[in-house]
Amino acid sequence: MVNPVLLIAVPLGLAFAIPLFALFWKDAAKYIPPAALGFNLVVSLLLLPKVLENPVIVSISGWRPPFCINLVAGPVGVLFSAIIALIGLLVSIYALDYIREGATERYHILYLLLLTGATGVVLTGDIFNLFVFFEILCISSYALVAYTADKAGFESAIKYLIQGAVGSSLLLIGIGLLYGLFGTLNMADIAQNIKSVSPISVFVPMALIVTGLGVEAAIFPLNAWLPDAHSSAPSSISAILSGIAIEVGLYAVARVIFTIFGAQSILPFLAFLGILTLLVGEMCAFSQNNIKRMLAYSSIGQIGLILFALAIATSYGVTGGLFQLISHTLAKALLFLAVGYMIYRAGSLEISALEGMGKKMPLTCLAFAIGAFSLVGLPPFIGFPSKFLVVRAALATKETIFIVLIGLALLGTVIEGAYFFRVVQVLYFKGEKPNPPKKDAPVVALVPMFIFVVLIVIIGIYPKLVTDVLNSAASELLNRLDYIRSVLG
Amino acid sequence: MSFLHSYAYYIGAFGLIFIGLYVILTKHNLIKVIIGLGILDTGVNLFLISVGYITKGTAPIFSRPGIDSEDMVDPVPQALVLTAIVIGVAVLALALSLAIRLYQHYGTLNLRKIREQRW
Repeated sequence: MVNPVLLIAVPLGLAFAIPLFALFWKDAAKYIPPAALGFNLVVSLLLLPKVLENPVIVSISGWRPPFCINLVAGPVGVLFSAIIALIGLLVSIYALDYIREGATERYHILYLLLLTGATGVVLTGDIFNLFVFFEILCISSYALVAYTADKAGFESAIKYLIQGAVGSSLLLIGIGLLYGLFGTLNMADIAQNIKSVSPISVFVPMALIVTGLGVEAAIFPLNAWLPDAHSSAPSSISAILSGIAIEVGLYAVARVIFTIFGAQSILPFLAFLGILTLLVGEMCAFSQNNIKRMLAYSSIGQIGLILFALAIATSYGVTGGLFQLISHTLAKALLFLAVGYMIYRAGSLEISALEGMGKKMPLTCLAFAIGAFSLVGLPPFIGFPSKFLVVRAALATKETIFIVLIGLALLGTVIEGAYFFRVVQVLYFKGEKPNPPKKDAPVVALVPMFIFVVLIVIIGIYPKLVTDVLNSAASELLNRLDYIRSVLG
Repeated sequence: MSFLHSYAYYIGAFGLIFIGLYVILTKHNLIKVIIGLGILDTGVNLFLISVGYITKGTAPIFSRPGIDSEDMVDPVPQALVLTAIVIGVAVLALALSLAIRLYQHYGTLNLRKIREQRW
């Protein structure tokens, strides 16, 4: 059987080996990330059928779980690591041509480290280890935001760094308090003993940890960094930040709330925050003229919807949340990749500069339109079944608060539709020139976009492909007793 | 006084954490904000150490004779702090290098004047 440790060890090792390989062959730097992530994708897909039956627990250095740092490759962990590897692989193929200037070697090292950190966060079973992987993810993304080396890049990177560093300090204080209370850092062990102390003394570490993780997950009052960072990074990095980094933050929030604390009472508050995040994000997106900022605000909106769906905390709700998470990841990564070459061609980030792009770059614009329609939730794309599942889950609770909130969420979707259709209209139906020269994005960039489009359409038509995995992932998140039993034995 | 005596480390640690947060939130000079981050990091590290500290405790070496396990300091928080210090160094170094590049572009470190990105 394949060992899940390889999912972390191989990309981490290869990331630091890039400078060595580059000594002998200059181009090695850009071919190593696709190789490492392709390996991760294969390993994750091989592991997936096994972990659906029984989660694989890896004890590092041979000690039994409460005493060692362990990896928990359950349905959630392997599902996330497969998504991270898939998106990472496609975006790294796109970057083969897209990243040409600047310190390309360092770009590829940091890129691989970012994805290693993300994989580590979703697989680890130790809360301090989670913090360490989170920092790997964060520090590489601070540096990558500044990769374009222009004014906007440095300003956004420093903003992101300051807010992120304060957030991770809060997270660390929370972890320290938990260690003081329970004398252990193993998540299953903490979860087992959480009922043995008074709820008030658990509340403070929980608030600190959720706030700390909330900065990276871009939950409403903590997301001031996101639009700047996502819009000033290179488009390939925006795709990763929007498609993976914030989702991993959200995963960590869900893991902490559901598994470690088992906190049911905080969930309505999180549902409310989710809808607030959604409305703020969609309304800000509506008023943007800069296309990348618009997409960044739309990510905030989608994160709000996913948080809301997870906070419903029924089996339908969590399944819908995870489904929505996958659909957002695929669609938003596709949108950023398509926009990357569109703004390269237009020479401007303004939406009005994209007039008539539909005739100049037909394939890229088609990809953009499909991504946009999927995000809004039109059939037959993946956004439709995922949003449908979220709405059904909210209605199935039969509680007034969730029904009112899902009504507000649908209002947000209407706003979302308005601004995405406006951009699609600008692409196809504006602009005077009758026969502009056609020049699409290069083939290396079109192939990953094409794969994204195929995935979006196929899962949209046949959602059964993923729902089984999502169901068992949702039940892993909701049944904390099973999690504790499988880790501690 | 006994309260002060027994909680001195926690008071010191949270004092540093709040000083750091105050500096980050109120100062307009980027270098001062980064110094605030450093103070915040130090406070968090001191807090982690004090979670596992025993007054007049020693290192937990079981092979040395004549030491009771009651007198031993918990080594886990110290290992955590070691990691946290390294992470803190990386963040501060990155922040300072970004500050240098920001100064080259804007000619100032005043965060009130560096405001091209806004909602």
